[in-house]
Amino acid sequence: MKAVRVFQLTALALVVVSAVQVGWWLYDQHAYAVEKVRAARAAYAEQTAAAQALLDSGAAPERVQQLLPGIVIERGHAALAPEIVRALTTEEERRYRQYAWEGSFFLLALAACIAVIARALREEAHVREQQDSFLAMVSHQFKTPLASLQLSLETLALRTPGPQAARPLIDRMLADVARMEQMVTQILESARLERGRVELKTEPLQLAAAVARVVAQFDERARQEHISISSDIGPTLTVVSDPLALDVVVRNVLENALAAVKGAGGGNITLTARALDREVELLVRDSGVGFAPAEGRRLFQKFARLRSGAGYYGTGLGLYIVRRLMELADGRVSAHSDGVGQGASVCLTWPAAPAGALPQAAASQEMQP
Amino acid sequence: MSVAAPGHVLVVEDDPNLAAGVMENLRAEGYEVSLAGDGEQALSWLAAHGCALVILDVMLPGADGVTVCRTLRERGNTTPVLFLTARGDPADRVRGLEAGGDDYLAKPFHLQEFLLRVRAILRRWDWYRSASATADTAMLRFGGNEVDFRVFRARAWTGEAQELTEKEAMILKVLVEHAGQIVSREDLLERVWGYDVFPSTRTVDNFILRLRKRFERDPANPRHFLTVWGVGYRFLIEGGP
Repeated sequence: MKAVRVFQLTALALVVVSAVQVGWWLYDQHAYAVEKVRAARAAYAEQTAAAQALLDSGAAPERVQQLLPGIVIERGHAALAPEIVRALTTEEERRYRQYAWEGSFFLLALAACIAVIARALREEAHVREQQDSFLAMVSHQFKTPLASLQLSLETLALRTPGPQAARPLIDRMLADVARMEQMVTQILESARLERGRVELKTEPLQLAAAVARVVAQFDERARQEHISISSDIGPTLTVVSDPLALDVVVRNVLENALAAVKGAGGGNITLTARALDREVELLVRDSGVGFAPAEGRRLFQKFARLRSGAGYYGTGLGLYIVRRLMELADGRVSAHSDGVGQGASVCLTWPAAPAGALPQAAASQEMQP
Repeated sequence: MSVAAPGHVLVVEDDPNLAAGVMENLRAEGYEVSLAGDGEQALSWLAAHGCALVILDVMLPGADGVTVCRTLRERGNTTPVLFLTARGDPADRVRGLEAGGDDYLAKPFHLQEFLLRVRAILRRWDWYRSASATADTAMLRFGGNEVDFRVFRARAWTGEAQELTEKEAMILKVLVEHAGQIVSREDLLERVWGYDVFPSTRTVDNFILRLRKRFERDPANPRHFLTVWGVGYRFLIEGGP
């Protein structure tokens, strides 16, 4: 890391010095050319003056012409040959153009190098800063379940409870481990999204079937926590999205909704969808703890967590991942709540698939639950 | 402020698993335990109830633990606070303790150490309370100042009413108990804070400066809170050189 930085700074210094040198070289060359042309003009002027003197002293024009071939004589008047005048002017202009073009090209190239290196340096500093705050956040997120795990284990060691009393401790430990596992998954996922390493393969999908698959995975948990999940999505609604991305998005939104409803001591979650102009909108509504309306936007930022939900924990990455995936899939996501205790809704919008884009077999394969 | 119920601990922790673990262990040690899930809940609970100790998580949804502790102190509540935090760097510790915390434990922590610290805080407060229990020990008069240890209030020689922080009161109590003798900075740290919570004994010096400012006629030339160079402090009720 440090070696790279030294290299970059050295390169930057070298390029800057080179730019200054090129500039100086151009100036010098130009001055030299101008000086040469001026000297040539002076020499020719002397020749012209000499020719004129010879003519004035009565020398034959032919003889003078022979001696000084660059001079033309018209009616006893010596002048520089027009082609030489032209050649001098052309040479002067050619040199001037050459320096202007080559010089500006070199300087531009060097300026581009400086810009690229400076940008790299700045970006690196920015990345380092982000990594630092990311690491601080991640370590904080991990320390709580870790502390809980350690506490449970030390409780087992200190108090040696019977199997009956140990059961809740073991359940807590399992939950802590599951939570850390989820965090690792989400952190990796968000890191991949961050680096742009995710390429979505979009295809037409039947929304009802895709959502039903995710909902089915939450059925058991919802039952245990006294939460009813109902979905009412027309079988004709099709969206263009990456199937895996859609799965992750719906799962994360449902995960949040479940936590919010659990925080309110139970309730219901409803999923509805409708076709808009060239888009399909999925609305996930819950009767959970809700949030202050002003927080709707903040929720999609990295490491944003609900302020209202006591007892709710998360990585603060779930909705961030949702937002990034929706952006990549040309979709949108927003969250609304009328306030704490008022429930919340998350609105997901995908581009609609053109009519007939879906193979018939896939469309009729699965119906909503 | 309500009277502190001995042996009652309030746990302020938003993580349900960690809270359950802490509470179970405190109950197993014979403490009565209540739970608050966030800062607001904690403050409203403390406004209505008294307890012997607050276990306060620093990272809470809404108002964080440090803010809760500061608010508590501003309200005149002197209940001791033990901070739990995922961040354990010295700057963070100082921030927590300056907000009026009594001790600081970084997550993940050892159960035995946690219980030890809880016991230590409660023992210090037991000592302070029993050392201020009689009419004789509850009040201190020196140099025109009057201190009431039970309510952490004082009237300075200027006639101005003073609200002491619990640490100031404790330091004063230790000094008074050893009036005329030299008390080292380390002793003061040990008696008032417990163990390695503060990074340096300089903290003690700051508290002594604050006490001088409150009670000395000329804080630059103290007559009651005397520095014994290189060792510590000596308190003189009558006022000395």
